[in-house]
Amino acid sequence: MVGLPSSSRKSRSLEPAIVRAMLGLQILIDGFAISALYALGATGFTLIFGVSGVLNLSHGAIMVAAAVAAWALAGNPLFGTYLGALLGVGVGVVVAFATYFIVVRPIQRSRAIAEVEKEIFILTGTLLWGIMIQEAIAYLYTSNPKTVRPLVDGVIGIAGVRTPINELVTAAICWSVIGLLWLLVNRTRAGKVLLAASINPRGVTLLGFELSSVYLLVWAIYGVLAGIAGVLLAMFLGVSSDGIGPLTASAFSIVVLGGLGSVSGSLAAAYVVGYIETITAYMISPAYRTIPVLLLLVLVVYLRPQGLLGRR
Amino acid sequence: MIALRAITRSRLVWISLLIVAIAATLPLYVSAYILGLLTLAYYFGVFAMAWDLLFGFAGEVNFGPTFLIGLGAYTAGILNSRYGLSIPVCVVAGAAAAVAGGVLLALPALRLRGPYFGLITLVAVLLLQNMIVIFASVTGGEIGMTVTDVLSIDETENYEYALLFMALSGAILFGLSRSPIGLILQASGQDPIEAAALGFNVAKHKLAAFCVSALFSGLAGALLIFYLGTASVGTVVDISVGVQVIIAAVLGGRRTILGGAIGAVFLIVAGEVLRPLGELSTFVVSAVALAVILFFPAGLLGMLMRGREMR
Amino acid sequence: MNDETSCSRHRTICAIGLTAALATCGAPAFAADPIRIGVIAEASSISGAAIPNAAQMAADEINAKGGIDGRKIEIVAYDDHNSSADAVRAFQRAANQDKVHAVIASYVSEVVLALEPWAARLHMPMITPGAASNEISLNIKKDYEHNKYTFHGYLTSAFLARSVCDAAKDLLVGGLHMKSAVVVSEDAAWTTPLDTGYLECLPQIGFKVLDHIRFSPDTTDFTPIFNKIESEKPDVMITGISHVGVQPTVQWQSQQVPIPMFGIASQATSSTFWKDTNGATEGVLFQTVAAPGVATTPKSVPFTDAYVKRFGITPAYCGYTAYDEVYYIADAVHRAGSTEPDKMVTALEATDWIGTVGRVQFYGKDDQFPHAMKQGAEFVSGLLVQWQDGKQMTVWPDGVANTKMRFPGFIKLSQASN
Repeated sequence: MVGLPSSSRKSRSLEPAIVRAMLGLQILIDGFAISALYALGATGFTLIFGVSGVLNLSHGAIMVAAAVAAWALAGNPLFGTYLGALLGVGVGVVVAFATYFIVVRPIQRSRAIAEVEKEIFILTGTLLWGIMIQEAIAYLYTSNPKTVRPLVDGVIGIAGVRTPINELVTAAICWSVIGLLWLLVNRTRAGKVLLAASINPRGVTLLGFELSSVYLLVWAIYGVLAGIAGVLLAMFLGVSSDGIGPLTASAFSIVVLGGLGSVSGSLAAAYVVGYIETITAYMISPAYRTIPVLLLLVLVVYLRPQGLLGRR
Repeated sequence: MIALRAITRSRLVWISLLIVAIAATLPLYVSAYILGLLTLAYYFGVFAMAWDLLFGFAGEVNFGPTFLIGLGAYTAGILNSRYGLSIPVCVVAGAAAAVAGGVLLALPALRLRGPYFGLITLVAVLLLQNMIVIFASVTGGEIGMTVTDVLSIDETENYEYALLFMALSGAILFGLSRSPIGLILQASGQDPIEAAALGFNVAKHKLAAFCVSALFSGLAGALLIFYLGTASVGTVVDISVGVQVIIAAVLGGRRTILGGAIGAVFLIVAGEVLRPLGELSTFVVSAVALAVILFFPAGLLGMLMRGREMR
Repeated sequence: MNDETSCSRHRTICAIGLTAALATCGAPAFAADPIRIGVIAEASSISGAAIPNAAQMAADEINAKGGIDGRKIEIVAYDDHNSSADAVRAFQRAANQDKVHAVIASYVSEVVLALEPWAARLHMPMITPGAASNEISLNIKKDYEHNKYTFHGYLTSAFLARSVCDAAKDLLVGGLHMKSAVVVSEDAAWTTPLDTGYLECLPQIGFKVLDHIRFSPDTTDFTPIFNKIESEKPDVMITGISHVGVQPTVQWQSQQVPIPMFGIASQATSSTFWKDTNGATEGVLFQTVAAPGVATTPKSVPFTDAYVKRFGITPAYCGYTAYDEVYYIADAVHRAGSTEPDKMVTALEATDWIGTVGRVQFYGKDDQFPHAMKQGAEFVSGLLVQWQDGKQMTVWPDGVANTKMRFPGFIKLSQASN
């Protein structure tokens, strides 16, 4: 129906079946892109938990910091869109390291905090840290939403569904990065140590690996993933400092749904969440977008607390 | 009896009483505005103390204190603005609704631990928030709801209500935490299996903790909206409000109950003192709170009482 | 101070002409207690930040000319973080601690509605420079004696809808022969009456309203909404957005939704909107009360220029109204001869002020919307502005328009000519 303005009057009488098929394809395409983005955002989050047991509640803030940096730098003619986006990811890594060195590591190493309480301290600490980042962004760049110019402009028709090319590029980048991560974990020595650490941290130290360098590696990977996810989000939908809380909450939900610490579980859960949201938004109303997922989450946590593919 | 004697012997209790007595005289010499500020802080103090009972003692990571607070506040608000019921009736109904919510939360808490329960509480808040927006015709939705009656328009009276309420809540919660029930809660929070092995009914005690925490959260939520004259998601339900409550409790010192009140007063007063910094004030308050957590993990009260007896 | 008498004899002149009034009434030294005006707004949003900035500018100008009756104007600004609770706290502080004489508060209806009972309880004259909900005025109607302290210094939603319809009639129906529309608004206090207004007036000017969509202000992905609208094939989308702006605009452009956007889009009124959307706002049409370079009144252009010079960006819509409000509050204090709240209310009710947005008068207590700004050609009528090549160009009404409507390539107007 799209792209045929002259037939617009006629298309009203088009077979409902075709209209439904178009809607289905639309949901398929849109859901795929948004889910890919969710998957990338949640992968880093779950990786950190798997390796070091840290639930990082400044996750959304790191994503938005990278996105806003990309926005600010891309606006500077010196850098332009591509370099701006790349530097934005760099800012994501820097902020991730800052999170580790300023907040997480001091708590992990603190002798004044009992082991059983470290979890709540890291939660509270990263939460506060996230608020600080959020306020700093709002102060420097206002809380108005920011969008980064897409890497590729324009739209293409996929069987009649007009799709921004950027949406496809976003999904492609997300999956490439996830693929690279898979190669890193399964095909490189450093990656194998990482994998081992996530299964048994003590075992890794016994084998003579410095756990702290494993942590550094995982935070670096996390920073890259969160940074890319943030910048892509800014290109796809736009970000604002007010959206930090919901971003963290959605990553948290996806990761719990998939099973804490399970990367493949997170990927699956990201698609479940992405598609349920998209279907709700298209078929019922965008206003109810998040509700079915929340209900599903309650149900899963009640019936299967280890998540869809969790191993605990 | 042992508990009672321990309480009367505790230096903390006497100091607290002294502070409350001094606070009661504040209206004589501080401005109405500072009273207004402290009024708000006292209600937040009750939120934080109620949260500490669940977290500090029962060991339940509750990310959603505002689920209980919001239930109390909105139930009271709706009854007042739609049905014209009087304030005391509304407040009692609000507290009852919050207790019902507490029981609802307690059910998963008995099965789940740590992050999983934390997520459930978070989801509870988000669902409540969605419900308020969807049923906008009753709740006022995103607009918020203006209640018909307020406690008082006189700052001194409002202040006295809040102080009295906080002092009573604090006394009850503190007493409970120092009683055998509190000790059992603490034991079951740290090691539920061992606590059960010792013959304690962990489930029953936890359920009680949820009910008590919900009762005070709901009461404080309901009273708060009758102080402000308005109930909105941003005031009593939003996750950021819950975050403030948690920060207040951790800042003041976990497992101290009274620390929550100190943390809340500190947070709200600091936010005000830093007002000239404008938008940066929240940044600075968060940074200070983070520093306290990193360097003085026992919290403000723990810091003050270090080396002295806490019981 | 013998100018004082000449002034009271020609009170109307003093009231209408700002420069004239100040030249005659001004006294160089600030003898008496200053007139304090509290300004409560969200500092981190562009619209919110314009309020204290513009108010401070007005105060500085008045003070430079000697103040009002020898009294300096002092602005006390508060950040409400867009939260009703913070705003109530700020309001209490303004009244009880900082002893302000009037408050200019927020562009968010939710916040203003929370403050309205406090204005009543504390007998504090309050004017909103940007909230639009009809409820603000209707509360005054319901209980005038109690709520009379609140004034609505911006068009109510009902009037905004009418203003959009007036423009749509000339531009879209008259100019482009459009026949059908979809109303799409964020779900918020101010859009409920706005949408009622749209649904009432659009059919009257010849539009068939195909659908009415309300979405949550938390929406980040507008694709489903645009798709739904597109499948209904309207000629135009009539918008009511304020809390959102950047995201729908950018997605509209990146998805090349072939339907023009026309209506209220508060964020688009700020000059930074072009950069925030990377230029995606090209072609977006929005209603506002004043625009850069448009001489709605002789004061409009000098104010915009001075504001840009001082703050580097153009004032958002509520900057214009906040600027005017400081002036007419000062004028009311002058006419009342006192900062006593009830006298100020009476004086404010008699306001007749040529500001940057037009001639400001308020409806009386027996009108449909008491204390709301009068709308109409001779009062405040509004403009229709379009983003073109990074600039806000006025396309309606004819008298002040400086260009014609023009759309980006992906907009398909051909549907309308069928």
